[in-house]
Amino acid sequence: MSAPRGLPRGLLAGLAGIALLALVTWLLPQLVSNYLVRVVIVMCINAVLVASMGLANGFTGVFSLGHVGFVAVGAYVSGILSLSAHAKGAYLPDLPHWLAGITLGFLPSTLVAGLVCVALAFLVGAPLMRLSGYFVAVATLGFLIIVNVVLINAVDFTRGARTFTGVPLETSLPWAVGWLAVAVAVIARVVYSPVGRRYRAVREDTIAAQAIGLEVLPVRLSAFMLGAFFAGVGGSLYGHYLGSFSPAAFYLAYTFTLISMLVIGGMQSLTGALVGVVAVSVASEVLRNLERGLDLGIFTVPPLYGASQVVLGFILILVMIFRPSGIMGDRELTLGPLVKPRQEGPGREIKR
Amino acid sequence: MNPGLYIAQQVINAISLGSLYALVAIGLSMVFGILRMTNFAHGDMMMVGAFGTLLLGFAGLPFWLAALGGIAIGALAGVIVERVAYRPVRGAPDVSLLLTSLAVTYILENLGILIFSSSPRNFPLPDWMNVALQFYDGQLTFTQINVVTVVATAVSLGFLGWFVTRTNAGIGMRAAAEDLQAAQLVGLDVDRLIVVAFAIASAFAGLAGVLWAAQSGIVEPHMGFTPLLKAFVAAIIGGFGSIAGALIGGFVLGALEIFIVAFLPSAVSPYRDAIVFALLIAFLLFRPNGLLNRSQEIKL
Amino acid sequence: MTRTALHRLPLALAAGLLVSTAGFASTASAADTIKIGAPFNVTGALSSLDAPALNGAKLKVKEINDAGGVLGKQLELEIYDTKTDPTVIASVASQLVSQDVPVGMGFTDSDSVLALGPIFQQAGIPFVTPGATSPKLPDQIGDMIFLACFGDNVQAAAGDEYLMNEAKAKKVFLLRDNSTEYTTLLAKYFDEAFTHDGGRVIARDDYKSGDKTFTAQITKLKALSEKPDALYVSAMPDDIGLIVKQMRQAGVTEPIVGGDGYDTPLLIQVGGKAADGVVYSTHAFMATDSTPAIQKFYKDYKAAYGMEPENAFAALGYDTVGLIADAIKRAGAADPKKIRDALAATQGYKGITGSISYPEGTRVPAKTVAMIGVKNDKLYLADEVTPKWIAKP
Repeated sequence: MSAPRGLPRGLLAGLAGIALLALVTWLLPQLVSNYLVRVVIVMCINAVLVASMGLANGFTGVFSLGHVGFVAVGAYVSGILSLSAHAKGAYLPDLPHWLAGITLGFLPSTLVAGLVCVALAFLVGAPLMRLSGYFVAVATLGFLIIVNVVLINAVDFTRGARTFTGVPLETSLPWAVGWLAVAVAVIARVVYSPVGRRYRAVREDTIAAQAIGLEVLPVRLSAFMLGAFFAGVGGSLYGHYLGSFSPAAFYLAYTFTLISMLVIGGMQSLTGALVGVVAVSVASEVLRNLERGLDLGIFTVPPLYGASQVVLGFILILVMIFRPSGIMGDRELTLGPLVKPRQEGPGREIKR
Repeated sequence: MNPGLYIAQQVINAISLGSLYALVAIGLSMVFGILRMTNFAHGDMMMVGAFGTLLLGFAGLPFWLAALGGIAIGALAGVIVERVAYRPVRGAPDVSLLLTSLAVTYILENLGILIFSSSPRNFPLPDWMNVALQFYDGQLTFTQINVVTVVATAVSLGFLGWFVTRTNAGIGMRAAAEDLQAAQLVGLDVDRLIVVAFAIASAFAGLAGVLWAAQSGIVEPHMGFTPLLKAFVAAIIGGFGSIAGALIGGFVLGALEIFIVAFLPSAVSPYRDAIVFALLIAFLLFRPNGLLNRSQEIKL
Repeated sequence: MTRTALHRLPLALAAGLLVSTAGFASTASAADTIKIGAPFNVTGALSSLDAPALNGAKLKVKEINDAGGVLGKQLELEIYDTKTDPTVIASVASQLVSQDVPVGMGFTDSDSVLALGPIFQQAGIPFVTPGATSPKLPDQIGDMIFLACFGDNVQAAAGDEYLMNEAKAKKVFLLRDNSTEYTTLLAKYFDEAFTHDGGRVIARDDYKSGDKTFTAQITKLKALSEKPDALYVSAMPDDIGLIVKQMRQAGVTEPIVGGDGYDTPLLIQVGGKAADGVVYSTHAFMATDSTPAIQKFYKDYKAAYGMEPENAFAALGYDTVGLIADAIKRAGAADPKKIRDALAATQGYKGITGSISYPEGTRVPAKTVAMIGVKNDKLYLADEVTPKWIAKP
């Protein structure tokens, strides 16, 4: 754990991390098939989303069901920005002039998408973050549904329920891994800093936090906005991975997938979020291939489409029964000095 | 068309839709009241009840008997789910409960697809239920299904009212909803009360499922999802956890949905769900305990 | 605990990936089969449309194999359930590419085809969709993508001509489901064609697939000061029976016209008597008293799956396999490039949903549109149309 004295630990770890990531992104496509590379890219995108979702949900205790709403906004904003002028003319003929003329690269449009989400999160969060518990969950669910309805009806910008397509396929493995590294580094930095302690103070006991002079609203709002930034970034990655999407892709089914990843991994731990993404993704890929039927030589198992979801459901229930706080609970895996975990006492596991 | 009749027609439409929302919302609210649990699988009991009715009908039972059987099957499914999936996680964090119920939804809906296929099936009705009643030269119409829906809702609400005020189990349930720990301390058998609550809630969902299928004419594995979402809104409007609140919330939501489409310009009707949810958020902010202002600490 | 969890993780990952790659090994053994990649959304929101298409495809594959296969080899569908999830679709697409399937087929909606398309396009593997009826689709992706069905602009124009010429309707009320691409696009094309031919859409309204009561829209329709001659309702299969029933119960008597979403037994099962006076455009007249080929399809489908074809996609799935088999035969080898060229050169392939030809340079077939009417709980062939003016895709 201890780095050589005299060297700036952060810099060393950062360089080592970058070297490692570069190696992985270079090596992986040489070793495995394009299919597995794709699975890994999707995992990275989901990891960005789940980690940022965990920021608000796990660390400040504000259970938001609206995260996917920001993902949708991120995907559409970045998609509109990065669409070529030709594609804009073909697919979005009614776009306002000032937008029709702009074509940004992948990185700038992703950043803009993230910033738009931050602004939106401020507008939405300023009132909603006053609520707590179930009520914030319901209100943010309402946000998700409103985003969906607006996307379907803002035909000039989104093509409505029709597929939004023509987005350049830019999300390669290096981009996905790179953004994941940035997201994890930033979120880890924030969570395990004095600011992060405030987050957890607010989560553990709102009234006590107020009593020691913490203003709850700004604390929650800042977490919500940071989470929204990475949701927008993740949305942009998602959009530039598939190249085409429609409002239906960013709705409840995706919300539930992300939540199960978050809760399975452990809401109150950053590495938990990552572990959850990997566990759920691997399980569903494996089950999806198994449900197509097995030829075991002696007897064959017929294909049972839908069986993978049933089995996955049972696994979820078993995890909830035996590890109600997820695989990691509020523990962290130490990934080097970049993340400085500090045990803040046992997490409150039982509320009622 | 006579404007008075136009309004009367829309009110009838609203009551019919509101009854269905109320039936689903009440069960959702009952379970929430006791366990503080948002039961996403509640909508699937509608699917179970409707498919149960369909199968019993195929087996040759008359419609009303098949419907009662379907409702009983719905209730049974609710009790089984509680025993197998929810009881072991009772006391876990709220999100874990929520996720468990989501997992149950995954399982039930995909089992539905595996068993019945995903194609919607026709839900056959006795002919008299399809008869349309017309008044004022057809300016005011509704069908026998609407009448059956409203009557069935009223009867089951009457039963529920009697149950929670006059029976020991019902009073116990209310006590448990007030304070689960206290109910346990004074010696109430909480496990049994929760089973009863799930049985009743799921029976209500089963009934709603049968009525929903009767109105829409089809049964399919995903049928419980939309009504569940609506019931969720209805329960919040009324004050989550309160039975009377859920009832009122159901009717308010039904009326909102119908009136937005009926009385606002056509350009607005695609935004119906957005308007409903915007109102819901406003409700949460300004009247967080619902229409029946039951005090509950939810704001900062 | 944290340490062991970390150590177990790569192990679990490796095991998982091994199992998923083992999937390839088990199927790669047979060299005497020609594989057709078949991703379909068998579960999830689109399953009620995709599952019948897959069933139809399976039926045709069995029929062809029983008759000796193609080029002396048996056909084999490489089926994957893509779960109505775009990321799963993209993963499955690359899985199929790495299995070296020479050709693929699947899906009934553009979202799914667009998620898969670029990957097949890049790999140079042709893909035929039985049911995604957006006419823009092939040009959006590239020269590897084919439609086995006509575009929505064609059937919308057929509906328009039927209304104009047969029903003598000049004023229509347009109701559409605003939540899907198919229904919004069909309504848009109809609007364009009807207006082009001198008709007028006097009012329009929206609903959302899954709504179970249309009473508000209906009451509003009845209160219109100007009465429409007919209604054009752009709806999905699961909703149309109910819409028709509620309309008729409320005393709306005008003809109701729509697209191939109506082509499902539910229209009459749910609509009952109310379905009288409904006319819709679809791919072929599917009924027991139709042509021998369709009768055979009907009988075999019922024998195999215990129910009548659920919607038009069943027949389209069946024809798509026939179309691909025909192309493989003409290509003379299970080679992607040759199959693509053979597909593009298809002239007059006789399917049960009509004759399929790809005019020079297009990958959307020119097909006639069948207009089907309902009378006394029975379907009849109202008209067969080759529309004159078709809205631009």
